[in-house]
Amino acid sequence: MGRILLICRLAERDLRRHPAQALLLLVVIMAATTVLTLGLVLHGVTSQPYQQTRAATNGPDEVAYLSGPTGPHESPETGTRLQALVHSQVRELVHAPGVIGHSGPYPLAGALVRALGLTAGAEAEGREERPAAVDQPKLTAGSWVRPGGVVLERTFADALGVRVGDRITLNGRAFRVAGIAVTAANAPYPTLCYSDAGGCWAGPNVPSSDMGLLWLTEPDADRLATSANPLTTYILNLKLKNPARAQALANRYDNGSNTAGPSLTPWPGIAAADGLLVTGEQQVLNPGAWVVGLLAVASVAVLAGGRMAEATRRVGLLKAVGGTPGLVAVVLLAENLALALAAAAAGLAAGRLAAPLLTNPGAALVGAPGAPSVTPSIAGLVVAVALVVALAATLVPAIRAARTSTVSALANSARPPRRRAALIALSTRLPPPLLLGLRLVARRPRRALLSMASIAVTIMGIVAVLTVHATADEPIAGGGSGLNNPIYDRNQQVLMVLTVMLLVLASVNTIFTTWATVLDTRQPSALTRALGATPQQISAGLSVAQVLPALPGALLGIPLGIALYLAADGGGLMSIPPAWWLAATVLGTLLVVAGLTAIPARIGARRPVAEILRSETA
Amino acid sequence: MSDAGTTMSSTASTSMLCARGLRKEYGKEAGLVRAVDEVDLDVAQAETVAIMGPSGCGKSTLLHLLGGLDRPSAGELWLAGQRIDGMSERALARLRREAIGFVFQAFHLMDELTAVENVELPALLAGRSPRAARRRAIGLLERVGLADRAKFLPSALSGGQRQRAAIARALANDPLVVLADEPTGNLDSEATLDVLRLFDTLHAAGQTLVVVTHDSRIAATADRLITMRDGAFIDETRLTGGTTGQLSALAGLDG
Amino acid sequence: MQQEVVLALLAKEPSHGYQLRARLVQALGPLGDAMNAGQIYVTLGRLEKAGLVACEQAAGVADRPDRKVYALTAAGQQRVAGWLSEVSWPKPDLAEFHLKLIAAAAARLADPVAMVDAQRRELLRRLRDAQRAAMAEPGRSDAGLLLEGIVLRLQADLRWLEACERNWTGRKDQP
Repeated sequence: MGRILLICRLAERDLRRHPAQALLLLVVIMAATTVLTLGLVLHGVTSQPYQQTRAATNGPDEVAYLSGPTGPHESPETGTRLQALVHSQVRELVHAPGVIGHSGPYPLAGALVRALGLTAGAEAEGREERPAAVDQPKLTAGSWVRPGGVVLERTFADALGVRVGDRITLNGRAFRVAGIAVTAANAPYPTLCYSDAGGCWAGPNVPSSDMGLLWLTEPDADRLATSANPLTTYILNLKLKNPARAQALANRYDNGSNTAGPSLTPWPGIAAADGLLVTGEQQVLNPGAWVVGLLAVASVAVLAGGRMAEATRRVGLLKAVGGTPGLVAVVLLAENLALALAAAAAGLAAGRLAAPLLTNPGAALVGAPGAPSVTPSIAGLVVAVALVVALAATLVPAIRAARTSTVSALANSARPPRRRAALIALSTRLPPPLLLGLRLVARRPRRALLSMASIAVTIMGIVAVLTVHATADEPIAGGGSGLNNPIYDRNQQVLMVLTVMLLVLASVNTIFTTWATVLDTRQPSALTRALGATPQQISAGLSVAQVLPALPGALLGIPLGIALYLAADGGGLMSIPPAWWLAATVLGTLLVVAGLTAIPARIGARRPVAEILRSETA
Repeated sequence: MSDAGTTMSSTASTSMLCARGLRKEYGKEAGLVRAVDEVDLDVAQAETVAIMGPSGCGKSTLLHLLGGLDRPSAGELWLAGQRIDGMSERALARLRREAIGFVFQAFHLMDELTAVENVELPALLAGRSPRAARRRAIGLLERVGLADRAKFLPSALSGGQRQRAAIARALANDPLVVLADEPTGNLDSEATLDVLRLFDTLHAAGQTLVVVTHDSRIAATADRLITMRDGAFIDETRLTGGTTGQLSALAGLDG
Repeated sequence: MQQEVVLALLAKEPSHGYQLRARLVQALGPLGDAMNAGQIYVTLGRLEKAGLVACEQAAGVADRPDRKVYALTAAGQQRVAGWLSEVSWPKPDLAEFHLKLIAAAAARLADPVAMVDAQRRELLRRLRDAQRAAMAEPGRSDAGLLLEGIVLRLQADLRWLEACERNWTGRKDQP
């Protein structure tokens, strides 16, 4: 009992003596745990709101697209031939085993929508004015379809910026917006076309990523069909006795690309497409979390390394009064554990608060999902990760400290600097600031490597973000419609959050590395000043010592960032950011590093030389 | 550059190092400590001055003030006719580079540099070419008797050798005055003799030297010995002297 | 001149007086120059009287001191052996100065601190000379070793004088 008390006391005292360092460590681990929490929570939030919408609208278990053969060399069936075909398909499906209810068939026309100066494509579904048995979209504003009045799907309406009562044109015909609704039978804008087997065509010039859904009366839908854009498809909503068998039923009707019969979309496919909003975020958040995590580990390593000298000395003291190496390690661990636990708790809280901002599925689905839950398993995982980080931070100093003999631990408070004869010889040819900087790097090569790694990871994240921007900015063939793409917007938000975190961590890293270097080189710097170096030369040297490893790190980060994008995006289109963006990033990074270094360097270089030398020898 | 209109006595104007009313204080009011209290000092060219006193009397602080490593709270300081107490850090750094050489009690050699690399450092900082700096460093090491240990790291040198290397470093830029702070404080008897001999040769070569010490042997090599207590000078002696005949008595050779 | 020293020098072999003197001078270095030339013969005479040394007349001129050859007697050898194994150290002479200070202070004849300072200055001068002489000696000479001893003794005495100064200055401030 007494030992535990002692350990706690030692740990607490040490934390209190260096509050700034403790705080930095806390911030770093918290960044990692927050991002981790967000990622884990997002994992769990995909299907909940969809289920609610499904319940509210009596969503179908299966959506059947009924049309004629749709192979590449066939012209689609229209007119009465289509009607006959559809009838036979409907009869077949309605009597298929397991089907207990249906609504439709409803005609599906392609329409070019013009509203408030924006153009978009839409699937126009013809509906009865009275409610359907299966899939009756739930109104969130206005009223249901009537002659001349259309109901828009909610996300689509938001993207277009229209409200109830606005005028829009479909294929040149004027309509009014009668209402706005949500449905579980289709994925919302802009993922309408992403669900399996969804037919998505409105005409030759409308990109499928910009298609939305609207409902209107059946006669209005029929009238939308033109000779150039005839009616070719009908929708049939099915209810199954056993919804879990939806995929099996769909498979039965899957004839490959040459469909001479209905094609079925099971409800899980729709749910998945619906969840793309969040999945898309995950696509960004997961690699982002890795990057932030890496950077956090690097920062922790820097922080732990910075405290190594002191840790070694304390270990020496403990051993000198009879502590075993085990006790010593436990004391070191206790502090970091306490910090890690606090950081885990803080990260969980922050993640919980931030998650709704990211997971609010937006307009598409009914109901506020409430705060996404931080389940005990998520909490457990985050705490475990934080503990592992703490352990890692402790391990190296603890092992080294335990191995060092007591005498040398007491006498020599830090690792002696390394000697690199070649670098020293090289540095003599350089002007004083570069000379000092290069020698500083040579003294602690591992720290320089760590700096380089941190910068590389940071730049990796930034370049990945830039690549996202560059790819999104590329004009899509056919021209964008100018609509807001909520997936894009949401991803931007996530990216921004990640980028901010990256930059914060990188700054913390840089400042702390500089501070640790300043402390570490306080005596040699004072000595060099006593030999005639000006304070400006010393701070310039410190800046050089930070910038020198940063440059290769930044250059390395560029290909890494592009690789990260490729890995995360999984082989979509990619355009490499323009060269001047990359150059600006690298240059900006170097300038920022030099600038961040200047402050602690200046502070360190201002103390009178005599004071420093006196305190070191005292 | 110019001394803000303050007049100096003619003797002071010919001295290498001149201090008037030098003061260094720490703390405030009740906690005020005068480390250096109204010190006047004149050091002529080629003179060796030793400052002795018990520990804590402020002699090291005084030396730091003289070398521009610390700023005086009050007073004036001239080096070779140039007023230096009000100079900026940058100007002081240049001064230390070109005109002042410092020798510390703890040697303060860079652990990761060899002896010759340590000695050439001030020259490199002053902007000399690497080759010239290296040549001069080797020459200086020869002068202090460490030519065969030029490529050794400090950890491979004895205390006396380290201090000799530090003295060579202090001479790197041909300074006007060498300031030594307890140079033999960390040395044993034999190493002290080495340093003594070195100081003697420097003195003979015309180097101005100010040494702070509590070792009377070092003090005895000086032309002038100043005793300091509680931050002020209390005694000054010119050491000239007797013959070896008087020493026989000390040896017990009486009669 | 210590009688025992002369006895010990004869232990190696019987020698003439001038040979003994030469060996002494060599061992003492610059300090030996100041030694009185006839001193050693006086000592030898005393030793002869005490029966520790016997004198053999060399062939040649009679009764001239420098032609005599001196040798140890048995008693002399015993004495030398005894002396060599002694471990007593020469007495320091601090009491005299210490009492001098106290007497001066008590009788108010002189300022003790000033006396200490003066003594210090004198010792410093001697230290300087001894040091100079020591440094002038080549590496491991015997004389150099002796001078080193003088230097160190003076240093120790100077330290004591510094302590005296501190002490007496403190006393001055008291009523």
